[in-house]
Amino acid sequence: MFGLFNKTKEHTAYINDESSPVTLKVEKGKTLLNAALSSGLDWPHRCKVGSCGSCKTQLLAGKIKPQIDFSYVLNRNEIADGYVLACQSELCSDVRVKVNLDNIKKRNKL
Amino acid sequence: MRFFVNARYLIVPVSSLVTITGILLGGIYAWLGVALFGVYTVIDTVTKDIRFRAEKDANGNSYGVKVFQYLVMYIMLPVFILLQLVLAWRLYQYTSGVPIGTANISIFSYQLGISGLHLIGATLSTALWAGLGIIYGHELSHNKKEGFFVSRLIMALSGASHFTYAHVYNHHLDLGHEDDPATAPRGRNVYWHTWLSHVGQSKFSYDLEREKLNNQGKSTLSFKNKWILGYLYSLPSVFLFVWAGGLLGVAALIAVWAISNFLLEALNFMGHYGLIRQEGHPVEHRHSWDNDNVFTSWFFIEIGRQGDHHVRGETYFWELDDVGAPNYGIGYFSLFVLTLVPFLFRKFVKRLLEDWDENHATDEERLVADKFKSIGIES
Repeated sequence: MFGLFNKTKEHTAYINDESSPVTLKVEKGKTLLNAALSSGLDWPHRCKVGSCGSCKTQLLAGKIKPQIDFSYVLNRNEIADGYVLACQSELCSDVRVKVNLDNIKKRNKL
Repeated sequence: MRFFVNARYLIVPVSSLVTITGILLGGIYAWLGVALFGVYTVIDTVTKDIRFRAEKDANGNSYGVKVFQYLVMYIMLPVFILLQLVLAWRLYQYTSGVPIGTANISIFSYQLGISGLHLIGATLSTALWAGLGIIYGHELSHNKKEGFFVSRLIMALSGASHFTYAHVYNHHLDLGHEDDPATAPRGRNVYWHTWLSHVGQSKFSYDLEREKLNNQGKSTLSFKNKWILGYLYSLPSVFLFVWAGGLLGVAALIAVWAISNFLLEALNFMGHYGLIRQEGHPVEHRHSWDNDNVFTSWFFIEIGRQGDHHVRGETYFWELDDVGAPNYGIGYFSLFVLTLVPFLFRKFVKRLLEDWDENHATDEERLVADKFKSIGIES
């Protein structure tokens, strides 16, 4: 109920490493992928419309609001393991996520 | 500036209302929708060299007002329903043998009853504007919230609700490749493309649902199947036209659906004709044709900025811009007329494709183009 009065304008995504994660501020209404790209993170992606699955990430903690039904792109096992599409995920709380480290490079200091 | 930037996209909503008014008035006015299409073709042709970039304020923000533009797009759903209702009303009058005469509502007079000739005009007017209205179904298909559902309903009015899923999950992913039924390869004409693209997208949408439901351990034959649901959304139109006109009503609805889907597939045809993308490689600006003269841009709510749209699929239409994609140099209305005569279209597009092969294609894409040429297909 108190969530109704929660006016949080942004949440934080903690990316990968548990002890010293890359942190990312995600404004309300913005997707995880767009926030990452705006911040200079080279997050893997291709279509940005939820079709290709390139931006998939594993949600380890926290809640997201999916903008589409992920089951069109992710299989049952991936969904069970908590995978989500970053391009179609808004944050409902602070989250901890894991993405492919090989593809993620910090271009600019956050 | 803000008012102008937002108001200029109201050509289709206003024209749709004019078309509805014409059918309501009856008589020669039932042809208003067809006449508008002709007038706009002329305007589009004479303004082919006038272009604008997307305007931005001093802070680099677009002047587009999201709430307003979405409100207009949502309102277009009842407008298109109204379009079908007024045609059904005229069908009912015709099949019931209502005598032709003048009736009045307050100070306004309209024709009661309708002749067979003017009923054809009303049907064509409805079909053309139902087809042109598909631009809203397209734009809303990229909205993942309630807009996606509104898109499905708008497309269902043309019996093409499968488009919404196929466009996002197939066309945007497989564009320029043989896996995308909506991309027309060199040598295909718009009439053949309409069938292949329509059936191909519907099949994709069915397969997508089957796979999703199988993954979830559910039956394909269920109301969870969005492909089935999409066609069920079209049933009210079928019932309406059968009730209004019996067999003639069915014929009228088939005409409306055939023409509106033809216009939809003609847009797909023009958007990527003959362009080639290597499988697995990213979609880039060069994989789409732009049609961005002033009238096409405003009328088709910037759908002609295909190069930008396909690379930034999440971007609102009023923010799309010229990105240096290959450009036909003429608007959609003019180009559409050319596509109706396949020989002329291929002649027109030949030099453009030669330029694309030479200046835009990668070596791998050029190899595919050469294969077409080796079997005598140059454009």
